[in-house]
Amino acid sequence: MAEHLVIRVPKTPRSSFNPHRALSKNVLLQNQVMHFAHVEQKLPPEERTGIDVASIQTEGQAAEYIRRITQKLHMPAKS
Amino acid sequence: MSAGLDNLKHIVVLMMENRSFDHMLGALYAEDPRINGLKGDETNLDTSNEPAKVQPLAEFQGQLDPDPDHHFPAVHKQLFFGTSGPPSAPSMQGFVQSYFDQERNIEHSHKIMYYFAADKLPVLHTLARNYAVFNGWFASIPGPTTCNRAFAHYGTSFGQVSLDIFYIKEPYLSIYERMLQGGRTTKLYYFDPSSSTMEVVNLLKNQPQIFATYDQFLDDCKRGALPDYSFIEPNYSDHVGDSGGELLASDQHPDHDVNEGEVFIAAIYNAIRQNPDLWKSTALLLTYDEHGGIHDHVPPPACTPDGFHASLDDTGNVPFAFDRLGVRVPAILISPWVQKKTVVPGPEDPVNGRVFEHASIPATVTQHFIGDYDNRTVREKGAQTFLDLLTDEMRPDSDCPSFDFE
Repeated sequence: MAEHLVIRVPKTPRSSFNPHRALSKNVLLQNQVMHFAHVEQKLPPEERTGIDVASIQTEGQAAEYIRRITQKLHMPAKS
Repeated sequence: MSAGLDNLKHIVVLMMENRSFDHMLGALYAEDPRINGLKGDETNLDTSNEPAKVQPLAEFQGQLDPDPDHHFPAVHKQLFFGTSGPPSAPSMQGFVQSYFDQERNIEHSHKIMYYFAADKLPVLHTLARNYAVFNGWFASIPGPTTCNRAFAHYGTSFGQVSLDIFYIKEPYLSIYERMLQGGRTTKLYYFDPSSSTMEVVNLLKNQPQIFATYDQFLDDCKRGALPDYSFIEPNYSDHVGDSGGELLASDQHPDHDVNEGEVFIAAIYNAIRQNPDLWKSTALLLTYDEHGGIHDHVPPPACTPDGFHASLDDTGNVPFAFDRLGVRVPAILISPWVQKKTVVPGPEDPVNGRVFEHASIPATVTQHFIGDYDNRTVREKGAQTFLDLLTDEMRPDSDCPSFDFE
């Protein structure tokens, strides 16, 4: 009977982590930010972040903006 | 109906980002010539008219910076360079020329021809060797992410060929809404709130029925609570997680570390594999949204139009009626009911070849879980489905690989 094949998956080096990578290097993320900005405009004014998306310059900043909007969108509706 | 299909309770789709078939799987031709990869003599001419050859020199990170252009006009050049354009057949000769346009650096432009050597991608290559690899799975559109992912969700992009926001047009519903209307269960698992979902604009109205996070996916696998249909989005950014840890992007989008995508794919596979009941009742499809501007040697074929016409502003004045596909991407169907070393022939086989694209995803899910359903594009109705690859014989546990993490 053949031996069960187990493949070792290497760990990604921590040096790969770069939240300071320029957002301009990733058009997809840039557009994701724009999509979230579009959705943010549908929130009541008091729910909006007040963040000017033009000021978002890095991947980490984009992630933080997306996190804030996602969390607002997933809040239970007010009664 | 095969026993594998009879046992199928869950379909899971994992869609990664921006890598072509040849770039990721091309090396496997050397060990299995049924896989339509690279012979090693494929070239594109560079801007000095010298041939730039494919080479097994792809690295996890640092080579494809800047992000290769894969908007419609650039992909048009990649496909049709040296021809008069459609209806001529794609030459596949413009990848190096297109990448040169971004940096004006000939040496750098050759990197678009690099591919991963065998076993440089232990996870992807192991899955390809052990399950079913598709020689003919193409992006739905010769363009970027958003519109291609739309085909996986809606069976159309509603006329969109760019990354811009679009809106669903009647009567077409997403596969998730169809599932819910049909009394079935479904989830779109995004990675976490900082990565979130690419489908925020159109599917938000279904929150919280549809959306969940990757952690929830892992928990659902463990508890045997996976819905009928699941779609998983990878982590799209390097960011700090809620618990303060550094989370690496796992989407494999250039210039994110490809190895982290390997880790992510392996984790999803293991999560299903380690629950015996789930393993025998689940089919996992792993694919990529589009080629990301990276070389592939197979000309995309024509396809059934979906009834829309693209804006000339978005295509660079190229008329486009959604009547031809985008560049080929990796796709692997994983299940213990799939025969080991299955290679699904593509356009290279004029007799038995089959052409798949992202509309094959809602087409397959609809066919299996919903049945007759008319409110779909002609494109989706005509798309190939893939569950016939599940056989009558379930492979023993010892015959199915697993992954162990460093």
